[in-house]
Amino acid sequence: MRRSRVSLLLVAAALCLGQSGSQLVTPEIRRVGVHLGCLCGSCKNTVADCAMLECHYSKPARMKIIAMQKEGRADQAIVDQFVKDEGRRALAVPPAEGFHLLAWIAPFAVIGAGLVLIWWFVRRLRRPSETPALDARVLDRYREQIDRDISQLD
Amino acid sequence: MENIGALALLLAFCLAVYAILGSLIGKWKSKAFLVLSAERAVYSVWFLLTLSAGLLVYSLLTNDFRLSYVAGHVNRDMPWIYKFTAWWGGQEGSLLLWTWILSCYCALVVFQNRRKFRDMMPYVTATLMVTQAFFLCLITFPLSPFQVLAVGREIMAVPDGNGLNPLLQYWAMAIHPPTLYLGYVGFIVPFAFAMGSLITRQPGDAWIHTTRRWALVTWLFQSCGVLLGAGWAYAVLGWGGYWGWDPVENASLLPWITGTAFLHSVMMQEKKGMMKVWNMVLISSTFFLCILGTMLTRSGIVSSVHAFAQSPIGKYFAIFLAAHIAVVVYLILDRLEYLKSESQLESVVSRESSFLFNNLLLLASCFAVLWGTLFPVISEAVTGEKISVDAPFYNRVNVPIGLFLMLLTGVGPLIAWRRSSLDSLKRAFLWPTVAGLATIGILMGLGIRHFYALISFGLCVFVTWTVIAEFFKGAIAIGAKTGQNLAAAMVELTHRNTRRYGGYIVHLAIVFMFIGFSGAAFNLDKTIEVKPGESFRLGAWDLKVKDLQQGENPNYRWGHLVVDAWKNGAYVATLKPEKRSYRAARTDTTEVAIRRRLNEDLYINFAGVGEDGRPVVQAYVFPLVSWIWVGFVTLIFGTLICLVPSKVRLQFPKTKVLGVVTQDAPVPR
Repeated sequence: MRRSRVSLLLVAAALCLGQSGSQLVTPEIRRVGVHLGCLCGSCKNTVADCAMLECHYSKPARMKIIAMQKEGRADQAIVDQFVKDEGRRALAVPPAEGFHLLAWIAPFAVIGAGLVLIWWFVRRLRRPSETPALDARVLDRYREQIDRDISQLD
Repeated sequence: MENIGALALLLAFCLAVYAILGSLIGKWKSKAFLVLSAERAVYSVWFLLTLSAGLLVYSLLTNDFRLSYVAGHVNRDMPWIYKFTAWWGGQEGSLLLWTWILSCYCALVVFQNRRKFRDMMPYVTATLMVTQAFFLCLITFPLSPFQVLAVGREIMAVPDGNGLNPLLQYWAMAIHPPTLYLGYVGFIVPFAFAMGSLITRQPGDAWIHTTRRWALVTWLFQSCGVLLGAGWAYAVLGWGGYWGWDPVENASLLPWITGTAFLHSVMMQEKKGMMKVWNMVLISSTFFLCILGTMLTRSGIVSSVHAFAQSPIGKYFAIFLAAHIAVVVYLILDRLEYLKSESQLESVVSRESSFLFNNLLLLASCFAVLWGTLFPVISEAVTGEKISVDAPFYNRVNVPIGLFLMLLTGVGPLIAWRRSSLDSLKRAFLWPTVAGLATIGILMGLGIRHFYALISFGLCVFVTWTVIAEFFKGAIAIGAKTGQNLAAAMVELTHRNTRRYGGYIVHLAIVFMFIGFSGAAFNLDKTIEVKPGESFRLGAWDLKVKDLQQGENPNYRWGHLVVDAWKNGAYVATLKPEKRSYRAARTDTTEVAIRRRLNEDLYINFAGVGEDGRPVVQAYVFPLVSWIWVGFVTLIFGTLICLVPSKVRLQFPKTKVLGVVTQDAPVPR
């Protein structure tokens, strides 16, 4: 029994060739990892969320975070170190400064522009000067028509 | 055989070009026979493309490894169904599928309208065939699926192929691409009618009435395609995510968003004669986004794990897109007079305004997704610096927009057309608002503090209340008049105005999906190495790994874990997550085991084997996620109801303000 179990495990190990070791995401790693994008090229997750077990980017990144936390570095200092090593693409979201601020502003600027457009549209379509005063006789004719139509309903 | 396939493509390309020229020259010179022959060329293109597609499928099923495409995407031991789906597993084959679906649509449109819209149809045919010719050009010249493997002048065959990517060997992936393409390609039809209407300055909204069903069916296919893709990601990729904001996923979402905006705003044109320019812009944008999405998937402009191999066709797409945008902008600007609004907006507090805000938010959401997708490219071009735009960006920007949209989904039906008085607003909003706020209060009392989740659940109740109230109010009125019971009255009500009540059911589907999305705020996960016989805990669940079993078949070897799941001390189920190793592709995949329930999914992935030989298990609890799939089915149901002709033929007399009542006018009786 023991022998067959060992052989089964070996088969499974062969199935998972190249995979070794799992990694746990502790709350401490998650706290820093949420600010860092996974640069594996396969996902759009953060280092904290990437669920690929042997991800070639997130796994070493988490190890690096653990090592720096053991050195007593602050969260921001760890993030800064990643930026120093990988460039600003290491960040999960564009930094809110310089040209990259545009990434954050543009979607809301579009909403703002849209609101202005709606305001202009509403004003244009509600222009009262285009609405003539209605003659009382015309109004009476319409009312009679409505009464006739209503009386024909069951 | 490959020669016949390639020749058929070449002939189809020539005939598509002929159909364009024949339609236009026939129309301009008033030569009816030319227009007719162009329409017959459309049928011929369909026949030739069907022949080509048939030959490619035959080659895939019979392992004709002389063809480069077959050798790259099929191996001998693959099940026949995946040999068939390999048709769209690669760049060339999927482009052939795209083109073939387009030819089916073109033939159907020409056949349906063979006696209608004789003024407009030549332009509709020409517009359709321009796109057809473009795609035929791609698969005839740079990306032919009939290229053979050769050494020098000698055609050769490899003994076995590489096989289809194992991740694609899954039932949802077998139907996801064709469904998505049916959506992508279908939006070309309303676009072509819009162009035909614009060019010929058609009076009225004939193009909208004609293409409303097309747009709806196409939108349904696009919705199914997007959601099947989400379902595939959830069940196959092993991390439980259904949406990763990948550029290719985004590419499928963009035309769906503008298509949704279009389906709403056409109501304004039909009922009020308003927003004519806007509808032209929307349907054109939807078409452009379909082409842009196809370009992003196939050109390598943005990096994505879902994209096809990088190819040089990006520049062709860019030219095609730029030319179309230029023509559409010119046509709209040149015909602005004809697109003038027929009525006025009487009040800001009206159904009309809610449509405007709905369109604004949908477009803002579309822009945010497109902006996030393209920003890394833009940033690199402008600053020379690479930048990441990952899931947190999309979530931060789109979640608030999505919640506002949800609010409008509930608010819209409560506001009357033309104008709403303060009293009627109070009456309409009181109970839904109370129900929504009460939900938030109860959830807070239960200890939930996630801000967006609270707002989302509150809005879900608000919208559900409004939708159900609409059904009840109508059904009670019909029941009082006809004596029918409530259920029969509801069916009668829906049958009388299928479009309106089908639309409400679709709104309910969106509510269900939002419930599923909101559940993500409470996900639990654990990755752990466990020996058979050991247990571990995740939330209220105790999971015991009982055994590790293994086996093989001609296509792959497999090993699966047997995991007993206990909840609060009671046995619930045995799950068997599996890991496969495909022989031909030399790739490993995971087959997750999921216990699906409406309150939560238990999701177990056999992720691999640790350094000391212990199985690695990834276990997740996804609360409420099944509501997304409930929403999916409800969405299909609601859209199908919208497609059923209404029992009462609805007329939409355009509201026209004749004038204002002066003070000396008689008091209304």
